[in-house]
Amino acid sequence: MSATFKLWIWRLAAWALGVIPLAFAIKWTITSRLGPNPVEFLEHYTGDWTLRLLLVMLAMTPLRRLTGWTEPIRVRRALGLWAYAYLCLHFSIYLVFDLEFSLFQLSEDLIRRTYVTPGFSAWLMLLPLAITSTNCWQRRLKRRWKTLHKLIYPAAIFGSIHYLWLVKADTRTPLSYFAILLALLAFRLPWAELRRNQPRQSIVASREG
Amino acid sequence: MLVEGECEAPGLMDIDELIRPHALEERIYRHRCVEAWSIVVPWVGFPLADLLRRFKPTSKAKHVAFYTLLDKQKMPETERGVLDFPYREGLRIDEAMHALAFVSVGLYGKVLPNQNGAPLRLTVPWKYGFKSIKSIVRIRFVEQMPPTTWNQLAPQEYGFYANVNPEVDHPRWSQKRERRLGELFKRETLMFNGYPEVASLYTRMDLRIDF
Repeated sequence: MSATFKLWIWRLAAWALGVIPLAFAIKWTITSRLGPNPVEFLEHYTGDWTLRLLLVMLAMTPLRRLTGWTEPIRVRRALGLWAYAYLCLHFSIYLVFDLEFSLFQLSEDLIRRTYVTPGFSAWLMLLPLAITSTNCWQRRLKRRWKTLHKLIYPAAIFGSIHYLWLVKADTRTPLSYFAILLALLAFRLPWAELRRNQPRQSIVASREG
Repeated sequence: MLVEGECEAPGLMDIDELIRPHALEERIYRHRCVEAWSIVVPWVGFPLADLLRRFKPTSKAKHVAFYTLLDKQKMPETERGVLDFPYREGLRIDEAMHALAFVSVGLYGKVLPNQNGAPLRLTVPWKYGFKSIKSIVRIRFVEQMPPTTWNQLAPQEYGFYANVNPEVDHPRWSQKRERRLGELFKRETLMFNGYPEVASLYTRMDLRIDF
């Protein structure tokens, strides 16, 4: 398989992950198959896909390191922008149908609704990342671009907390999202360096144990 | 159905025996979920007070506790450990005897389907939906306030009384407005879900404390 063809397949897969859930949402909206509470359904659906796409995107660096493939890194931006697209839809539905554009109610929710605050923060953190996602901005910001885009990590954590805090009792799904996120973030810790700093102690400990 | 506790005429009876003495009536009630959605439902049933009086509660019966059927075969989700089953609910005796407190055996002119709490459920329209316990198999008259499922799980979020109250928010979300199913935008939530006739039950209480 040629390298270009392989990359093309990866790009197609990334776009499919973004387009297909949206296509279903549109189809269900047109055919009135969103259930008894359509607004809530769409809020949850777009929120779910935001988190799923964020997790898939954060899995690309580990995948690159484990397999040596370069394609995962090259579809990261598309996945991230699709995640942000779903997040913007999510936020818009809330702004329009829950708040009816009332800034007073938004501020009240931000202060008093514990789960709204991390969700809104995540949207705010991702806004500059979406804006500076172009090649042009990448060149312009140089090294600072990479620092800025580390905001993805707190944003993903805030997004997961937002989900965890809003469920009534059954926390299995939000907790599983959170666990996947923690695993993906843990992969990024400098394990090799941590091991190098204390090799003897661990050997001694294991022998004594 | 087992009816027991502080009453002179406890009993164990099947559903036909339980329903037969009552004339069925239709009541159209607003139903407000604690999660801020609502629906208007035409229920079929009879007043809860009429049912409870048959068992002659004594003066010690200050509260009524209700228990849902726990059939692990038919209800496999109860095994997942999210809530402590069987589901339990309770009312103060004066609430239970209020003319608006209702026992439903049907809706939309039909027999109650399983998912709506067959064969028999409470319909307490001025309280959040979780108070209207479904598929009741046991009623117990008690003196002390009985433990209730959601209150036990998160006492700071779900009170025993759980009266619909736009002034007292859920700790994590607002109760000021609700989405009526079938409507796109939210509407204002009314005190006691729009049933002011129950207000006299709570005149000496601070509903911010006893939420």
